[in-house]
Amino acid sequence: MDDRFVQVGIRTVEPLPVQEKRQYKDKPIVSMAVFAIIAMGCLFCNFFITKDPAYMDLYNANAAPGAEFYFGTDAMGRDIFSMIWYGGRISLFIGFLASAVSMAIAIIIGVFSGLAPKWLDDCLMRFTEIFLSIPSLLLVIMIQAILGKANVFSISFVIGITSWTSIAKVVRTEVKQIRDSEYVIAARCMGAGFLRIMWRHLTPNFISSIMFMVVMNIRAAMVAESTLSFMGMGLPLEVISWGSMLSLAERSLLSGAWWIILVPGAFLVVTLLCITDIGNYLRKSVNNRRSNL
Amino acid sequence: MVNIVTDVLLDVQELSHSFKLDRNITIKAVDDISFQIRKGEIFGLVGESGSGKSTVARCIMNVYRPVSGKVIYKGINTCDLIEFRKNKKLLQTSRQFIFQDSTSSLNGRMKVADIIAEPMQIHHIKPKRGTLRSEAEFQLYYVGLDKSYLDKYPYELSGGMRQRVAIARALSMEPELLVADEPIAALDVSIQAQIINLFKHLQKEHGFSILFIAHDLAVIRYLCDRVGVMYRGRLVEVADTKELFENPKHPYTKALLSAIPVPDPRIAWTLDIEN
Repeated sequence: MDDRFVQVGIRTVEPLPVQEKRQYKDKPIVSMAVFAIIAMGCLFCNFFITKDPAYMDLYNANAAPGAEFYFGTDAMGRDIFSMIWYGGRISLFIGFLASAVSMAIAIIIGVFSGLAPKWLDDCLMRFTEIFLSIPSLLLVIMIQAILGKANVFSISFVIGITSWTSIAKVVRTEVKQIRDSEYVIAARCMGAGFLRIMWRHLTPNFISSIMFMVVMNIRAAMVAESTLSFMGMGLPLEVISWGSMLSLAERSLLSGAWWIILVPGAFLVVTLLCITDIGNYLRKSVNNRRSNL
Repeated sequence: MVNIVTDVLLDVQELSHSFKLDRNITIKAVDDISFQIRKGEIFGLVGESGSGKSTVARCIMNVYRPVSGKVIYKGINTCDLIEFRKNKKLLQTSRQFIFQDSTSSLNGRMKVADIIAEPMQIHHIKPKRGTLRSEAEFQLYYVGLDKSYLDKYPYELSGGMRQRVAIARALSMEPELLVADEPIAALDVSIQAQIINLFKHLQKEHGFSILFIAHDLAVIRYLCDRVGVMYRGRLVEVADTKELFENPKHPYTKALLSAIPVPDPRIAWTLDIEN
């Protein structure tokens, strides 16, 4: 019995083989690459698009994909290949701008609510919940109707101000946790104002936990824009975006021109998948990094 | 006596503060406390956990609004909102706070250089040594760290180093009153000695006053000129350090003093016999 416990405290450990390419593990390489290609293509589309995306070549309306028109033409004779890249700019721009607008509103309202006295906090949160309970698409349509004719900025603004609520609630919870930590008290004693505390002390400490939602908001904004345009309430047809391209689709389905709906749809879906994947990665990495102090 | 009165930097008068737990229960954390801190003096505040030491510090630094009483700093009643606003800059620059836990008193997302320069940035004070960075470097050197730490984050430093950074941040404003809320309680003993010596050294160089809060009597004895003993929210005794340790008046102080471990057990025995 006794000789089983001869050695105390020493345990030989075989050194683990060093894993190569570890930094690529778990990272959404494919998604990031595909997204980068699409984003770059949209940004630098001037260098390789073959046709003027707005030019209506009525002789070649509804042309099938071929050597001249890589992805075919739509019902108005516009070249879909050129439109995809050109319109992607608008779609991505709306996605990012709307997400930035919603993030800014969410941070300001969330931080304010988190730092405010209880009654004001309650008021703000009830207001947020009321906002949250109205279907956002309904709200978008309403506000857009009030604002009048849609353009790129108004539509991102409208999507932005209807999608901040859930982020604001997360921000508020995080701020409630860190507002009594000593570095915030220290900053207050030093005389730091609301804005300084918000940007220098609070935001860097909760930004990682809302990053996932912000990235997902890009996706939601792009979907919202496409939905609105598809229903004819978004961007007008002459402003090319993936959404407004899809809005032509209902007619094309009847005429059997599948490429008009499939190409922009595929681009949209692939981009959204990439963004979702990147967002998921961010969410996981935040959960792992929780205790880095 | 006249001399002493004019020398008073901080005058705490009948300060009380309580916390509401719910509708029925209110806890009196600080109950009718009065003491004075003179210019260039290290005033120690000692007492067991929960005796209200930190609450006093936070009331003095305007973190909490006291329920009643006054805190008069240089003739300014800091509890009065109007007077506070009028003298905001003076109050926020010449009084500095050092916290117990340096892990949470330094923002983990800021570099050391930014942490030290922050009070200067807030008050738009032109750094004496050219740039904010060189000023931060000087302050860091002053507390015994070299400039290689400027670009580190707090979590890359050890506890003692972090506390030095916190001290450097406080000193960058050249304060006249330093409120140190158990600045050494979270450190291990050898580092405690370093930081205490640093405090003593800095106080001699700058001549500022310190309100030093601790629960370790040995530290108080070594560092402080005068000591206040707190027990359950009340200040039971205030005396010069020497007198307090030789001739304690309040029974709680006596109990506290008898709890100090004596390094040589033979001395402890003789003390027992005498008593």
